Amino acid sequence: MAKESRRDPITFELMQHAIAAIADQMAVTVVRTARSTVAKEVMDFSTALCNADGELVALGLCLPLMLGSIPPAVQAVLKRFRNDCHPGDVYVLNDPYDGGAHLPDIYMFKPVFIGDSVLGFSCTVMHHADIGGIAAGGISSAATEIYQEGLCIPPLKLFDRGKPNETLLSMIRRNVRVPETVMADISSQVAACSEGEEGLTALVQEYGLETTQWYLRDLLDYSEERTRDAIRKLPDGEFSFSDFLDDDGLTTDPIPIRVTLKKQGDELTADFTGTAPQVKGAINMTRSYALSSFYFAVRCILDPDIPNNEGFFRPLKVVTVPGTLVDALPPAPVASRVLTAIRASDTLLGALAQMLPERILACGVATDCNISVSGYYPDRRPFVQLDWLPGSWGGRPDKDGIDHLAGLCSNFSNTPVEVIEIESPLLVEEYALVPDTAGVGKFRGGLSVTRKWRLRGAEEAKVHMRADRLKFLPYGLQGGKPGRPGQTLLSANGAIRQMPSKFQITIKRGDWIQHQTAGAGGWGDVLGRDPERVLKDVRDGKISAEHARDEYGVALSPDGRSIDRERTEALRAALRKQNSRA
Amino acid sequence: MTRYRVGVDVGGTFTDVVFMDEAGEVTIKKVLSTPKDYSEGILDAIGLSLNEKGLEGREIEVVIHGTTIATNAILTRSGAKVGLITTRGFRDVLEFGRIRRPQLYDMEWERPTPLVPRYLRMEVQERIASDGEVLVPLDMAGVARAVRSLLEEKVESVAVCLINSYRNPRHEAEIGRYLASEAPGIFVNLSSVLLPEIKEFERASTTVVNAYVQPVVKGYVESFAQKLGSIGMVCPLLVMQSNGGVTPARRAIDKPIHIIESGPAAGVIGTLFMARRTGMENLISFDMGGTTAKACIIEKGEVTKTNEYEVGAGLNIGHRMLKGGGHVVRVPILDIAEVGAGGGSIAWIAVGGILKVGPQSAGASPGPVGYDLGGSDPTVTDANVVLGYLNPEYLAGGALRINADAARRSLHDRIARPLGLELVQAAYGIHLISNATMVRAVRAVSIERGRDPRKFVLWAFGGSGPVHAAHLAQEMEMVQVVIPPAPGLFSSLGLLFSDLEHHYTQTFWNKFADARLEDVNEAWTQLVRKAYDDLAWEGYANERAQIQAIADVRYVGQNSDLAIPLPNGSLRLESLAILREAFEQEHEHTYGYRVPESPVQFVNLRVIARGLRERPQTFQGLTRSLNPSSAACLPSRQRRAYFGPAFGWIETSVVSRDQLDHSFQEGPLIVEEYDSTTVVPPRCRARRDEWGNINMEVRRS
Repeated sequence: MAKESRRDPITFELMQHAIAAIADQMAVTVVRTARSTVAKEVMDFSTALCNADGELVALGLCLPLMLGSIPPAVQAVLKRFRNDCHPGDVYVLNDPYDGGAHLPDIYMFKPVFIGDSVLGFSCTVMHHADIGGIAAGGISSAATEIYQEGLCIPPLKLFDRGKPNETLLSMIRRNVRVPETVMADISSQVAACSEGEEGLTALVQEYGLETTQWYLRDLLDYSEERTRDAIRKLPDGEFSFSDFLDDDGLTTDPIPIRVTLKKQGDELTADFTGTAPQVKGAINMTRSYALSSFYFAVRCILDPDIPNNEGFFRPLKVVTVPGTLVDALPPAPVASRVLTAIRASDTLLGALAQMLPERILACGVATDCNISVSGYYPDRRPFVQLDWLPGSWGGRPDKDGIDHLAGLCSNFSNTPVEVIEIESPLLVEEYALVPDTAGVGKFRGGLSVTRKWRLRGAEEAKVHMRADRLKFLPYGLQGGKPGRPGQTLLSANGAIRQMPSKFQITIKRGDWIQHQTAGAGGWGDVLGRDPERVLKDVRDGKISAEHARDEYGVALSPDGRSIDRERTEALRAALRKQNSRA
Repeated sequence: MTRYRVGVDVGGTFTDVVFMDEAGEVTIKKVLSTPKDYSEGILDAIGLSLNEKGLEGREIEVVIHGTTIATNAILTRSGAKVGLITTRGFRDVLEFGRIRRPQLYDMEWERPTPLVPRYLRMEVQERIASDGEVLVPLDMAGVARAVRSLLEEKVESVAVCLINSYRNPRHEAEIGRYLASEAPGIFVNLSSVLLPEIKEFERASTTVVNAYVQPVVKGYVESFAQKLGSIGMVCPLLVMQSNGGVTPARRAIDKPIHIIESGPAAGVIGTLFMARRTGMENLISFDMGGTTAKACIIEKGEVTKTNEYEVGAGLNIGHRMLKGGGHVVRVPILDIAEVGAGGGSIAWIAVGGILKVGPQSAGASPGPVGYDLGGSDPTVTDANVVLGYLNPEYLAGGALRINADAARRSLHDRIARPLGLELVQAAYGIHLISNATMVRAVRAVSIERGRDPRKFVLWAFGGSGPVHAAHLAQEMEMVQVVIPPAPGLFSSLGLLFSDLEHHYTQTFWNKFADARLEDVNEAWTQLVRKAYDDLAWEGYANERAQIQAIADVRYVGQNSDLAIPLPNGSLRLESLAILREAFEQEHEHTYGYRVPESPVQFVNLRVIARGLRERPQTFQGLTRSLNPSSAACLPSRQRRAYFGPAFGWIETSVVSRDQLDHSFQEGPLIVEEYDSTTVVPPRCRARRDEWGNINMEVRRS
């Protein structure tokens, strides 16, 4: 209570503005100074500020799935360097089994000193263009041990009292395929960390050390209070849900993820017990990403003005069993762990839907598909082209899912076709929605999306593809149906064939690969769909007249421009009868 | 015979009409806008002014118009029915955009509905490669079918955007010719003509926006010109563009994408022009009105521009980097950062007892509580009344009565009491928090662009700008603040000072090492020739035609480029080395480092063509025909104002601008004038310079 009274409503708000501005400024610095497309265009990075205990105080631009990964990383740094921490230090790590997530993600921390004491840490994490290992860009699912996935950096000093660690820097430079880009991006992370350091220092000049320290903790308490209030209002109980990954690319075994949400009072627990054991392929994830997925899912149902910081994590507990898919033990490979993080998020949202049926959207398709094409031009210049294809959003309690948008748990942009074509030997021949593929419902899911890559400007190229949802479909909710399955086609040697979800292959000039994502799930009873919406979809070519008739029970006039009310009623009556019989 | 320049600035509530004679004397007429047909209100105002001055229409040299007609067409979705023709396999590119959204964790978010519905997006068989090679020839029978379908759907306007057309426009040109012959009367826009730049979505979206607003803009501009003619004004009509230059009416109709954000540009151009006379060339213009505050940076006498923005995205409440909220238009536009903090921004209490300000605004109606126009939510303006910054009895020279008691009461009941604060603490808190929001706009255009705001002058205007400027400057550690004359009407003044400006662009995707000088020069010469041709056609020749060539350059692999001026004349062998050095300097300036080992590439070649005004008139003085009673309301000489816990309440002198001396006067001080109030806090000092500006020296308290 004494604490309460100290919180000044004006200083609090000013402090919040100030630290949000610092974290944002760091993010802007990264975007402006980084070199790789992954960082600049896709914005696969996050910036953050932590207090002296390593608790997350503010996030700049942050990918939702990186949300929970920063605290374990800063804890790993504190464990190693708490007693060897000096002004001018910068710590770095990417070891998934010591604070990291997967090798391409490099975490960096700079302590902020006020006099002799640490006020906090300025943090950045960035997905780098390459980190060595068997696949360019580090997204292969072919590895079976972490050792094949590239350079692994335990918590180390990148700078020691302002002096760069040249040994480490040259090790990194020598172990990556695109050293200039990676080194520039590392510099950009350092620059952003320094921005954060300057910003926090200026904050102390403005408010004084004691007050700043106090608010760097109070901001967390405030988020915690508000999160607990919000959780208290949710129904108590246990809510379970399961979803599946198709396979790990090495075997064809389906991989279940199971979660039980336990809500009691003002705490919420996600228990992943029942999830598959860790697998041979590289889709395992470390516990930090189980945390991230959970934080993300809960964030979606909270008031957006609750500050995104560690206080919000406090009432949230995660139970994982070591040695499982969501809490892998070394030396399990983890490069493609984002796929599992996406599926874990799907599963968590599915469980939340049991608790809050009127709020949660049906299952969407996030960045399940990732492709890397690499090789050499005829003049021996190397090329690496990474591309990814998210699908669509699931149907929602009051509106359709959005057709082709970065997943709810991410916000990656696409790469323009013209940019791919000018920077790589590929030709992108199609990038479009696929009609009749959405999960039907009162509010349909978004459609499948397809993209087709043809090798045009090189004799051959190595392709790594990692996709999913070819077998297990994005679920519908409240009577809505799942979307149609995804598929991958390869045209080579004059034949077109269906490919598995994950594969590596060498293609020749003229060959093409086409992926079609799964359609997103629908929400609500299909017969409750407003026929006008069905008509509009037919007009727009998003569904066919046959699909409208067979799935939605909506008949259109012969010119397809209006609804045939009478026949529609008859069709729907028949479908209703059929349903009740079933 | 004296000849007049006339500026017409149409806003949602008021229309300002400004007349400037050759001596630089300015008269302003302010009337209510007529949203049904804005040109009616304008014509009335012009007619009245002509009568008052005893002028005839032919004495007007030029009319310069700032209009929101294009923006409104998009915001209200009242543009044309547009069809799009694109390459087979890419019909959905326009809808996809960059598949990003401005808000995270928001399950309710909805993508802006594309301006062309899917059934009006036609695909034709054809394909051009990134090197310009035709891989699949254009299927003219397919084109004919597509056009027939669009005509059956009665589209008014067609946009054509084919993959890689920026590199080889042949197929688009063929479709254009077909449309011209088979669909006369339909507006046709080819992406390769409008914006021959790489990135298919951005190019398509820009082309579609142009096609969407074109018929509306054409109708409006033509009818306006005709009405001007009907009162004897046969002078040229120029339209303000988002890039800060003006364009002839005919070109505004051709390329209405350039006039979409014409509103905020005029104030920045006014700043640029007025500051130039005072010898200042590094400024941050700061325009704070009722709902928003806008900041823009001027460095070395040049306004910073950006090449892309989103129409209809609303305020950037999230992060400036998070896109997807509007319709992308890729044209040069002044780089203005806008935040939701204005005099009308509402103060409220968030869960947990935190004081918040904005982004909700009471706007002009119902307005702040103190205006007594029905507003009941306490606003920033109400706080400024309580603090003694604003006159507690009237504003606008007596035209607007202030009910200070109502402002106090509302602030007390809604904010101070629930939070357990003193009234003045609450008011000061609101003032500070709104400043914190505005700081973000200033930071966005300075620090986030690698510019140190402490080296810039804060040039503040808008109804509320001068109230907050000094405190804002203190916050940013800026030392010099300028409040120009007529700060509340400053934007419309800016119209009078703008030059004609056109932009031309061509993607030229080549590494420096691979670029052949002949190719660079050829591409550049073509752009320059086109620019000179257009200027000549519009009557600007010789020394009045100014050409600036620019290359967009980046390190290979980067995603954003920097605009580097090209030397005049053709490039020679050593020019590339000079250009590289200029690029690296700029890179270091903006980003703080260079990468000497990295190859450098061209992205686009661009030309800015300016047609300079014949006689660069200057602003000399201002007479108003606004409110004759304003003279009757002389400022009271003193009132108590609150300057934070360090200073408390201080009995503060209130003076008019004319009463300010040419030598510095110590704060605290309040300068009251018709359209704004300038606050000079303690430890700051102010003087009036020879051009009538208030110059303030600011020290941190």
